[in-house]
Amino acid sequence: MGVRLTNVAKSFGSFQALKDVSMEIPTGSFAVFVGPSGCGKSTLLRMIAGLEETSGGQIAIDDRDVTAVEPADRQVAMVFQNYALYPHLSVFENMAFSLRLARRPKEEVNRRVQEAARILQLEDHLPKKPSQLSGGQRQRVAIGRAIVRQPKVFLFDEPLSNLDAELRVQMRLELTRLHRKLGATMIYVTHDQVEAMTLADRIFVLKGGVVQQAGAPLTLYDDPDNRFVAGFIGSPAMNFLPAVIEAREGERVTLRLEGGDHRFETQLAGDAALGQPVEIGVRPEHLQIADNGLPVQVEVAEELGDVSYLYARTATGREIVVQRQGSRDRLDGQTVQLSATPRNVLVFDAGGARLR
Amino acid sequence: MSPMKRIENTVLTVLTLLAALVWIFPLYWTFVTSIRSDENVAGNTSILPDEFQLKAYLDAIFNTKLTVWYVNSIGTAVIVTVLVVLISMLCAYALSQIRFPGRRLLYGIVLGSFMVPAQTLVVTQFVLMNDLNLINSWAGIILPQLIAPVVIIVYKQFFDSVPKEMREAVVLDGGGEYTILFKVFLPLNWGITTAMSIVTFIGVWNAFFWPFLVVTSEDMMTIPVGITQVNDAFGVAYARLMAVAMLAALPVIVTYIIFQRRVTEAIMISSGVKG
Ligand SMILES: Nc1ncnc2c1ncn2[C@@H]1O[C@H](COP(=O)(O)OP(=O)(O)OP(=O)(O)O)[C@@H](O)[C@H]1O
Ligand SMILES: [Mg+2]
Repeated sequence: MGVRLTNVAKSFGSFQALKDVSMEIPTGSFAVFVGPSGCGKSTLLRMIAGLEETSGGQIAIDDRDVTAVEPADRQVAMVFQNYALYPHLSVFENMAFSLRLARRPKEEVNRRVQEAARILQLEDHLPKKPSQLSGGQRQRVAIGRAIVRQPKVFLFDEPLSNLDAELRVQMRLELTRLHRKLGATMIYVTHDQVEAMTLADRIFVLKGGVVQQAGAPLTLYDDPDNRFVAGFIGSPAMNFLPAVIEAREGERVTLRLEGGDHRFETQLAGDAALGQPVEIGVRPEHLQIADNGLPVQVEVAEELGDVSYLYARTATGREIVVQRQGSRDRLDGQTVQLSATPRNVLVFDAGGARLR
Repeated sequence: MSPMKRIENTVLTVLTLLAALVWIFPLYWTFVTSIRSDENVAGNTSILPDEFQLKAYLDAIFNTKLTVWYVNSIGTAVIVTVLVVLISMLCAYALSQIRFPGRRLLYGIVLGSFMVPAQTLVVTQFVLMNDLNLINSWAGIILPQLIAPVVIIVYKQFFDSVPKEMREAVVLDGGGEYTILFKVFLPLNWGITTAMSIVTFIGVWNAFFWPFLVVTSEDMMTIPVGITQVNDAFGVAYARLMAVAMLAALPVIVTYIIFQRRVTEAIMISSGVKG
């Protein structure tokens, strides 16, 4: 196992930043920690790096318990959001810094730095100072500094968030390629769910210091464990509407929406009491305009060419987003009716847990 | 440029020039007096140099202990500067970067000692130096001048301002405190170290009060203290006195001319702390 956390906890004074976190990140996989600001992603990453002490639990890297091991001896490398390059040193010396500290022979330092520079296309910039580089190039130097150390685990803390949107997409692809080329374990922290979806083999969604769900990107998208994950993953976000369970026939369940006149159907295998207040969740692309369904008033329609987004409101004032493929009829200000196929209708109980 | 603006500029230039004249005049007068003969000094109110001779300088160099004072001044100033910068830098680094119990209190004490005027400590320090048998020695001149809270405060503010990721990057790269301080933090801004060295050096070079108290033997005097001896040994030998003063000011003037921009920066940095 690349990285294994067992019941890891972290407190700052009386504030519990992480509560009983356990996870397994297989060797060579690309794991992403995602969650809203302040959920403890960076803290968790820094604990794996050894920059933050644990208040409880164990951290193992390559099946070696490193909980009490110094950061430099954990064979991890970290890329920081603000790059943290050494501004007084050239790009070459920035990348060579750790090797020089370890007193590696000159020839080896040269070879390893040159190789990292080649992978990251930094060969022409080696003599420059960081201040003479663009944001994207600086970020690559920071990654180069990590590569040179040949660590078992790469740790990234929001490495792309200081870059502009276009460069971010480009660097995202480069990171995926880099991961394939190096085959090392990578852990990546972001609050951007698109980055999480595109980069990860495995996503860990955190909130309030607790792992809400872990799984492959599409598993989280299609089969979220709770309302938070359902709402966090996906853009535009899933629509939520209050409802009650009105009737049940085997696995077929009828849900009556708030306001009382409209119903959705779905399938639930587990317990669900009649009359129980729930919330239903439907993704924007799973809502169809139908002849007979939930009437909504379209307030704004965004036409992007290939898709369009309808921002609408129900009679009870709930906002609803509908994604339509390829259609070009103008619907601004009109009232349309929405329906969804039963398997695309998810149900969450009052506490936010998914009913399956 | 509008006529109004032009008048304003002219007035400002004239005012600045006048202020500069007021500042430069003592130096100029010292120089003019030092190239006169002793007989020609008293009662001479001519502003322009009416004589040019280097007798006063030769007297100063050969008939006083100026060279010994020079050695004492340079020796103590260099040692104090190196020690102050090194000690304060290390102290500030610990206060800023290392978590240990009592560091807030310690910094409080540093700040507190900054509020105590040096004069109030003079008696205690004198008694202490006397007890340690350090009167009339370099150590006696040097030790009390090593206390420099301003330098500690400037360094601490600098270290505090370095993003913590910089430190963490070095730690992950396998570096310890030594590497962080000497290979990364200091090279980030040598300007701070240059500035602190210049300010300390000029301060020690010009120091009069303490060396005057702790040294009574002419062989241990620094230049500013030695100047008082010129006065005693030759009666009122103004030309010679001014020649010694010129030679005393020389290193400071030269430092200033070479490091002009640095010195201005240095004074701004440390007066920023003094508020
Ligand atoms: N040194 C510290 N002392 C006290 N509290 C801290 C400390 N470091 C982090 N915290 C708290 O721990 C919580 C988690 O912080 P963390 O930096 O891990 O959040 P994050 O998920 O990375 O957020 P962001 O997306 O904003 O970077 C926050 O509530 C933060 O205030
Ligand atoms: Mg963070």
